[in-house]
Amino acid sequence: MAPNIRTESLTVSYRRTVVLRQISLEAVGGEVLALIGPSGCGKSTFLRALNRLVEETPGAHVTGRVFLGEMNIYSSAVDVTELRRRVGMVFQAPNPFPFSIFDNVAYGPRLRGVSDAAELRRIVERSLQEAALWDEVRGKLRRPALTLSGGQQQRLCIARALAVRPEVLLLDEPTAALDPVSTEKIEELVSNLRGRYTIVMVTHNLRQAARVSDRTAFFDDGSLVEVGLTRQIFTAPRDPRTEQYLTGRYFP
Amino acid sequence: MNQGRVLHWFALLVALGAAIVFLGLLTDTIREGLPHLTWQFLTTAPDERRGGGGIAPEIVNTVVMVGGALLVTAPLGLVVAIYQAEWQGRVHDGGVIDQVRATWLSVPSVVVGFIVYRVAVAWWHWPLSLATGGLALAVMNWPVMVTVSISALKRVPHAYREASLALGATRFDTVRRVVLPAALAELIDGWGWALARLAGESAALIITAGINVSAHWSVWGPGETLAVYIWYVRTEGVGADAGGVAAATALTLMMFIAVTLWLSGRLADWRRRAGH
Repeated sequence: MAPNIRTESLTVSYRRTVVLRQISLEAVGGEVLALIGPSGCGKSTFLRALNRLVEETPGAHVTGRVFLGEMNIYSSAVDVTELRRRVGMVFQAPNPFPFSIFDNVAYGPRLRGVSDAAELRRIVERSLQEAALWDEVRGKLRRPALTLSGGQQQRLCIARALAVRPEVLLLDEPTAALDPVSTEKIEELVSNLRGRYTIVMVTHNLRQAARVSDRTAFFDDGSLVEVGLTRQIFTAPRDPRTEQYLTGRYFP
Repeated sequence: MNQGRVLHWFALLVALGAAIVFLGLLTDTIREGLPHLTWQFLTTAPDERRGGGGIAPEIVNTVVMVGGALLVTAPLGLVVAIYQAEWQGRVHDGGVIDQVRATWLSVPSVVVGFIVYRVAVAWWHWPLSLATGGLALAVMNWPVMVTVSISALKRVPHAYREASLALGATRFDTVRRVVLPAALAELIDGWGWALARLAGESAALIITAGINVSAHWSVWGPGETLAVYIWYVRTEGVGADAGGVAAATALTLMMFIAVTLWLSGRLADWRRRAGH
């Protein structure tokens, strides 16, 4: 069962600029939680706080707590490597390594010491199937990943994230750089992964949020404005700012 | 005619003029040197008394000193570059290390030769030798290696590092398994360029490696390189064919550099294609 991921008064600042203020938000196990809001509102930073990737930015400072299941991921006892295995991430622009398709997917398992060729092949096939890319790349696993189309590259990145058997998937505008057909495939994939993984997805595409998410959270200027069932947020938002944003009349 | 076209023709004219002058200079060297450039010239030792002789020891000395200096400094430079680019966060101008590197890069090679002479020969009592010359080349080349390595590492997209870290790799793993393989083509290009540059060095080597070749070759014996030999023959050479020998040596050195650059370029391209 995919775990809940919950933040309590999460505040993130870069040097002196506060980019996230006191965010308390929970993604329930197995659901798709969409994060929407204007550019620069802190959605991506929120996502990066959930796997502690934010700490790789010089000058970043995090306060508050984040729980993956029962574990506070910012406690000093936590192994960041293991945390990031459990919380996978897919980025805005497809970023496969300049290696072969196979080596891309096998990267994570190899990091964890899997070296048996048959085992790696099994993991790669399973992950590619789960990311709905297997049929397109079967028999071409030795080809460079960068020869794939943008949409295929993004699904490869999802396969690469799935290969380490994560429990949570963080998707940072995964279709922002893709054409409509590829976008549709990724959305379909997200719908299929729903239930098996807890998915937190940042998107600028409101229709996408409406199509694939169970619940939606609206961020503005580093604060969480409101969160609720996607249907409720899109049909009857409680906060006027949300309504203005959804109807294209919001100018922060 | 619009301004762009005028500029275009002007630039073309200047480039053509430069090419003609360059070819003229080169033609003269080729005309003078080519008759001397025989198999025997490349495979025998110099013989001043009987006029000319070959440049075999100079070729060996060049390869040994330049290769040795590169073998020592390439990893050292890479380590410093990795520290600066991958751990120190970003390489910002004005940092002490960068200041030292920029200064060091600009120090005239004859000054580097002098300093290495003072330290290695006067204090440590190293002889004027291939080893001392190699040390001088290494001292000159280290900041170059850092610079070349930093620019290679900076050309690796940041997204690769993020993807790797997000999969639970440590920074060390990320550098070893992603950044270095992705930077290798650029690094090879840089190493080839540094090798070519070092092959032409003369001033520092005159001071540290001497201007003759030993009959008993050793890294602790004196040994001039091709570049030093050109200088020596042109200024001190007494043989009647000194001009021809110098020209032929220059041609050899040019070919050595051209082959080095060509090979490193091919190798880098091959690495580049492997990822795409």
